[in-house]
Amino acid sequence: MRIISIVSVMLSLVLLMPYSSPAASITGDSNTYLQSRETADNQKILGAYEYLNFAVQDLGNETISFHMGGWLRYDLKGEEFDKKTADDLQYSYLSFKSTTDNAIVNLGRVMVFEGVAAERVDGLYARTDLKGNFGISAFGGVPVETEINEPGNNLIYGAHLTHQLPGLYRIGLSYLKEEKNSEDFREEEGIDLWVHPMNKVDITGRSNYNAITKGWMENTYNLILGPFDKFRFTTEASWISYKDYFTGATSSAFFFPPGGILDPNEKVRRLGEDVAYALTDKVSIGVNYTAYDYEVAGSAKSYGGSIRYAAAAQGGCGLSLRRMDGSSDNLKYTEYRVYGYKKIDKINLAVDLLDVDYDVPINGVSNAYSASIAGQYDLTERWKLGADVEYQKNPDFNDDLRLFLKAIYRFDIGSGERKGA
Amino acid sequence: MMLFLLPVLALVLFACAHTQSMVLKHPTEVEGMPVCSECHADWRAALDHTEDFYTRHKYSAPANKQACDVCHKESFCSDCHANKEELKPSDKYKDSPQLAMPHRGDYLNQHKIDGSINPASCFPCHGRQNNERCSECHK
Repeated sequence: MRIISIVSVMLSLVLLMPYSSPAASITGDSNTYLQSRETADNQKILGAYEYLNFAVQDLGNETISFHMGGWLRYDLKGEEFDKKTADDLQYSYLSFKSTTDNAIVNLGRVMVFEGVAAERVDGLYARTDLKGNFGISAFGGVPVETEINEPGNNLIYGAHLTHQLPGLYRIGLSYLKEEKNSEDFREEEGIDLWVHPMNKVDITGRSNYNAITKGWMENTYNLILGPFDKFRFTTEASWISYKDYFTGATSSAFFFPPGGILDPNEKVRRLGEDVAYALTDKVSIGVNYTAYDYEVAGSAKSYGGSIRYAAAAQGGCGLSLRRMDGSSDNLKYTEYRVYGYKKIDKINLAVDLLDVDYDVPINGVSNAYSASIAGQYDLTERWKLGADVEYQKNPDFNDDLRLFLKAIYRFDIGSGERKGA
Repeated sequence: MMLFLLPVLALVLFACAHTQSMVLKHPTEVEGMPVCSECHADWRAALDHTEDFYTRHKYSAPANKQACDVCHKESFCSDCHANKEELKPSDKYKDSPQLAMPHRGDYLNQHKIDGSINPASCFPCHGRQNNERCSECHK
């Protein structure tokens, strides 16, 4: 009800604004999907989905805009999650962007990515540059979460202070607090970093601290080198403490009770390297290796390689192989993938094959695979129609066929000058 | 609360840098996958949309959303990074297999494996949102 009120007020404002702004434009997409599939309990589902998103831009002096996206489902056959219908308002906000100070004010259902915060909030988000190369952002409101029995009276707020030397570094300090029923649910502090000491060298990372459990949640840092002629190197190093990282979960999948599959006191160090090499401007190869070192569960490693061909307008193909070697039986498998896509006039065709060989059979199955074929026809510049079919055999489904139809309509009302994916 | 916020707001307004904001849209039209380094030799070179940018964008997008907004609309992010999503992104884009999307094929079985290797990789999308499908089994 709260969301409906917010959207109604903002839509009213938006609908009034174009009268004072002849340059205003409305752009958006309507994506209609029909999916036929079978659930794990043998229920046949035929779901119809409508995804709608649009933006009203160039309101007034090109700094005010309105953005909305959401979807709804109606099951023509069966009931997904025991509910015939479902919907979600993904985002809906009025945005003001200043021509100076990189100042932004967003009001409504907003997405916030600032330091320790990666949240969706019904409320307010604002940021601005400050003197001395400082910048500050803040947000506050009601957290948007999908936990079903979420208690009421929720509140989330936080801030992010950054300092930067443009082109050289940016360092940030951030804080987030979330309350449920007026009790502390999350309190997190973070340091985030981006350093660009020289051309083609970037270091990014974050260290987040849980002020409730009094422990570091994670330290994650990445070194990105390149492109050096034809090479690009990416190194990832992270350390995560489960007890401190997962305390703010609302899903029981992350509760990790003692005696369960995952130890709640687990700590994992992860070190990965990815090397990409461009053989030509259309063909590239890559190799990767990741080592996992668990304090309780032992260790695991994953390694693989890929080769890709991509000719932007015509099509492409790829082949990849990945091996996982862990200490438990289900962490020993090899994954193969082959895909290809081709554009022929107004038709796009794609095939995708995925095969997994388990060293130790799962539910009696030692080889799982899925194969899909998809096609899309560009009816006009605005209309696209598509269909795909996928067949799977795996430890949970011994004979699974899925069908998917889609109709995409892109609309552009007004000046029509703004482009964007 | 208001007595506290008003002085903070006044201080922020006083301390504003009066810098020029980043452009709202790219000054020249960009077709296809842009190679930013063709024109930009600074930090923007790291935003080259090469074929592997689907996996690399996690390093640059969170800290540079304003730069992304120059070309991309909000729906471009929310198509995959959603609050409550029932359709897997890999189902919506089966005609684009070159996109590095997780959850391809049978993910019901594979999620048990990936979840035990690195549950932190699931958490940002499913820890507090996108978890209705999780709750079918994880009561």
